[in-house]
Amino acid sequence: MSSTFTNAVRPGKRQTRTLGMLQVVDLVKHYTVGDQPVRAVDGVTLRIDPGEMVALYGPSGSGKSTLIDMIAGFRRPDSGMVIVDGRDVHTLSNREHAIYLRATVGIVGEPKQLLEHMSARENASMKLWRTHRRNATRVVAPLLVELGLGERMDQPVRKLSMGERQRTMIALALSTEPKLVLADEPTGSLDTVLSREVLELIHSLCHDRGTAVLLATHDPLAVKVADRAFELRDGHLRDYQPETLATAERDESIAG
Amino acid sequence: MNVPAGAMHGRVMPLGEVLFKFKTWIKSPVVAVQESLAVLGIAVGVALLFASQVASQSLDGSVRQLTHELVGGTQYQLDARGPTGFPEALEQQVQALPGVKAALPLIDQQATIIGRHARASVDLIGVDPRFAQLGGPLARKFSGRELSRQKVIALPKPLAMTLGVEAFQDVMLQTDSGTQETLLAATLGTSEVGGLVNSQLALAPIRYAQILVGSRGRISRLYIKVDPAQRQQAAAGLRRLASADDLNFLPSDFDAQLFAVASAPAQQGETLFSLISAVVGFLFAFNAMLLTVGERRKWINTMRSQGTDRWMIVQALAFDALVIGIAASILGVGLGELLSIELFHSEPGYLAFAFPVGQQRIVTFQTLAIAVAAGFVAALVGVLAPVRDILGRPLREAVEIERTPVGWTPARIATGLVCLAVTTAIVLFRPQSAVLGVVTLVIAALALLPFLFNAIVWAFVRVQQPLGWTPLRLAAGELTDPLTRVRSLAIAATGAIAVFGSVAIAGAQHNLQDGLDGTATEWNRTADVWVSPAGENNTLATSPFPAATAGRLRGLPALSSVDIYRGGFLDVGERRVWVIAPPERSADPIPAGQLTEGDLQQANRRLRAGGWAVLSEAIAHERHLHIGDSFMLPSPHPTRFRVAGLSTNGGWPPGAIVINSSDYAKAWNSTAASALNIQVAAGYSHAAARAEILAALGPRSGLAVQTAGEREGQWKRISRRGLARLTQISVLVSIAAILAMAGVMSSLLWQRRERIAYLKMNGNGKAAMWLALFFESAVLLGSGCLIGATFGLYGQLVISHALATVTGFPITISVGTAIAILSFLVVSTSALAIVAAPGFLAVRVRPSLVKPT
Repeated sequence: MSSTFTNAVRPGKRQTRTLGMLQVVDLVKHYTVGDQPVRAVDGVTLRIDPGEMVALYGPSGSGKSTLIDMIAGFRRPDSGMVIVDGRDVHTLSNREHAIYLRATVGIVGEPKQLLEHMSARENASMKLWRTHRRNATRVVAPLLVELGLGERMDQPVRKLSMGERQRTMIALALSTEPKLVLADEPTGSLDTVLSREVLELIHSLCHDRGTAVLLATHDPLAVKVADRAFELRDGHLRDYQPETLATAERDESIAG
Repeated sequence: MNVPAGAMHGRVMPLGEVLFKFKTWIKSPVVAVQESLAVLGIAVGVALLFASQVASQSLDGSVRQLTHELVGGTQYQLDARGPTGFPEALEQQVQALPGVKAALPLIDQQATIIGRHARASVDLIGVDPRFAQLGGPLARKFSGRELSRQKVIALPKPLAMTLGVEAFQDVMLQTDSGTQETLLAATLGTSEVGGLVNSQLALAPIRYAQILVGSRGRISRLYIKVDPAQRQQAAAGLRRLASADDLNFLPSDFDAQLFAVASAPAQQGETLFSLISAVVGFLFAFNAMLLTVGERRKWINTMRSQGTDRWMIVQALAFDALVIGIAASILGVGLGELLSIELFHSEPGYLAFAFPVGQQRIVTFQTLAIAVAAGFVAALVGVLAPVRDILGRPLREAVEIERTPVGWTPARIATGLVCLAVTTAIVLFRPQSAVLGVVTLVIAALALLPFLFNAIVWAFVRVQQPLGWTPLRLAAGELTDPLTRVRSLAIAATGAIAVFGSVAIAGAQHNLQDGLDGTATEWNRTADVWVSPAGENNTLATSPFPAATAGRLRGLPALSSVDIYRGGFLDVGERRVWVIAPPERSADPIPAGQLTEGDLQQANRRLRAGGWAVLSEAIAHERHLHIGDSFMLPSPHPTRFRVAGLSTNGGWPPGAIVINSSDYAKAWNSTAASALNIQVAAGYSHAAARAEILAALGPRSGLAVQTAGEREGQWKRISRRGLARLTQISVLVSIAAILAMAGVMSSLLWQRRERIAYLKMNGNGKAAMWLALFFESAVLLGSGCLIGATFGLYGQLVISHALATVTGFPITISVGTAIAILSFLVVSTSALAIVAAPGFLAVRVRPSLVKPT
């Protein structure tokens, strides 16, 4: 699936016409591992609209995290553009990029990254410190309640279960009401029941808020929950094939 | 790492297996780097401990060495009470006593050598040829070599070079009997006199020495070798003889005992610094070992998952500790040797005036053993202590958070408060136990440090809250993280102890220096110009010269008065006391600042009148003397005096006695002068007066002409030199602490890159992150230094009190807040400056969701 854009995007400037919350245009990223060239991302074009959840399916090492890194602005592409909310991410200054990470994008990372000695509430309010200097923890409380952490939000993270930690991560990502959420393997360390719960939470919260979601996953469940799904294979983005899911489910049941 | 299936439990692992486990552990580059840092950290601790021990032992050792060099296998000595000695015919009487195998006479007199370029006060030692068989190595070497030349002297090479003379050149020798020319037959190097090569002494055959000092037929001492089987009989006979002839009957190594008393305050100061160096060194080592904790925990987990039981893991860890200990001890002793040679010089300072001390280093097996043992203990504790919790549990996911044992907190608080109370009790009731007082204060500081540190962090967290500034909030979050608490406390403790040491000892040193400076001013301003035998060794004016010299100066137009000052050293019990005898016409025989008890005007009046003495407090208290009491001064001609007042020790640790110059002449049966006190006539400058005096004395008088200011400056320089090593050690300890804190802090920041990446991923920019790390480092480093400075101020009082009360030093008791502030600022900001660079690099970490392969 690809789109072409006739309107040129001015670097760093917001466009008056919204062309989707996230637009990835012909993105390319190649590496060299030892002597071997690796085409991690090889001309990917993608568009995600506000409130839409897109699953990016692929096995480990397929380039999903590299693609998300480039969308987050952590890695520069060899060529192509990443436009989020009308702005080319890779033309932002350092200061603008920090604001982008705080206010425009929310990243759902691994639960082990949370600060264990701080409470769920304190962890989730971290991105609000600049805009809500004195009441950041109060502002984030309703979101934590919505995520089912109402009674546990003041417990230190080390006392929370894996599912609760993942919800704290989601709260952190959504705390500033970002335009786009990037989630990299958000169900990697969860069982099936919890995975479904977390995925459905992400879907409903983001849909309600008009937040676009790009979910990188090798969990077949995410494909079922998402609005659309793609596969990243050999650096290329393809529409997701159900056979791939059936094969994955069969492999899982054998392993299970 | 594969372990054979069915590994037995509780067995002693074969060396091969231990080596295998160790090799797989050390193969990781991260581990290799961390272990190297740990070795370096422990090596620094070992070096500090070794060097400071060598420094503190060397002074004592050099006097013992001289004694051994001279007296060899003799057991007793008969010692003259005054400079004129006693008849050598006594030797026959001693030889005739039952049990006496040999009696070896010796001359020992103060003299001045005048060379081509300079002059020096020396200890002239006249040696009997029989020392070649029975005496110590020094005497044997000299006696055997130069006996054929009867009228010669020998000097240590460095002294000869200073004087500008070489072997077979003439030099002038001045004593109280006059000045004469003599031949320098030999210059003695290290192979001949060992470490005493830097001593101020001159050797001559005894017959010639008698001629030089004008004491034909008289000797200063008799060293006596007795038959061990008849020792008591011999001693009884010698005691009777000594009593009858007014001599001192003493052990042959009595000089070493006297020196021990004289050097006690300096030794105590250096012992304190050795202790503080050891603690800082250990903390340095502990900090370095903490770097390896994370990897070591992983190693333990791996071993346990492969069936290795607890005891076998301990063996593997102990081997690791052994390797670290060996490497660190070798490196540390080498570093310590370098430190000891280049920096920690044994500086006798003023003690060289009354004792022939050298500047050699004395390294004993004990010194080496203590340093090496400390290195091994540090390695073992550093390896095993941080992982004791994981070893004590069944296999499960390692818990990183250090759990405080139940009851630990109240125990720490109680320990800290009790130690504070003990310190206070020592200050109030037993100041002579200053070393113990400082130790209890250090224990109190370490015991209370966690609470004080928590209080500072709590205050920081509370203060920054309303500000709502992100870097401060991030810093507050890191400071309250229990994962890094142990390391944080170790960093704070290192800074605390280092600053404590600097503030306590530097502060006390400053108080002492203040007092000594005041003493230098008061004692030297009693005359406008001083004339005395040249050389720094004669700073206290104890070398005699003919009193007739005064007659040559009286009548010079630039001089309004020329009076004779006398002084010397007198062995009173176990003290080599400084006897000060200003002229009767002196306006203030005892300066105001030196009198601690008694009426100043009355005391001075009595001193001028004669028959009265002012004693330093330590001497008076030892002999239970009060003002008005009468006592017998054990001078060459024992004389009764009454106590006119009590004073400080004048900066001379064993104590001082002040009498007037005429009383001194009678008590010593000698009219020789030690100095001339000259007042300049009105209308003449000091320079003009000096020129006239020099012209009258002639170019080879062997006497130095100094204004009061110059003499005062000389006193101050010497006292500063004597205390200089404390400053050196203090600086070195501070540098070690700065490096330790900065090193561990840098490592802590570097290991936090993953977290920094996470925080950057959530919108915190580089600048905010760097500021957060900066604030965190500032609180961590600053809190330790602040706690150390605060306790250090109390330590200052402890040490100053001891010096003033016990030794009678002229010390100004004050709290040196300037020193505390300076030390706090220097140590904390230096460490912070070093940490800024790794912090800057750490925040440049790029966040990424790509998992490392």
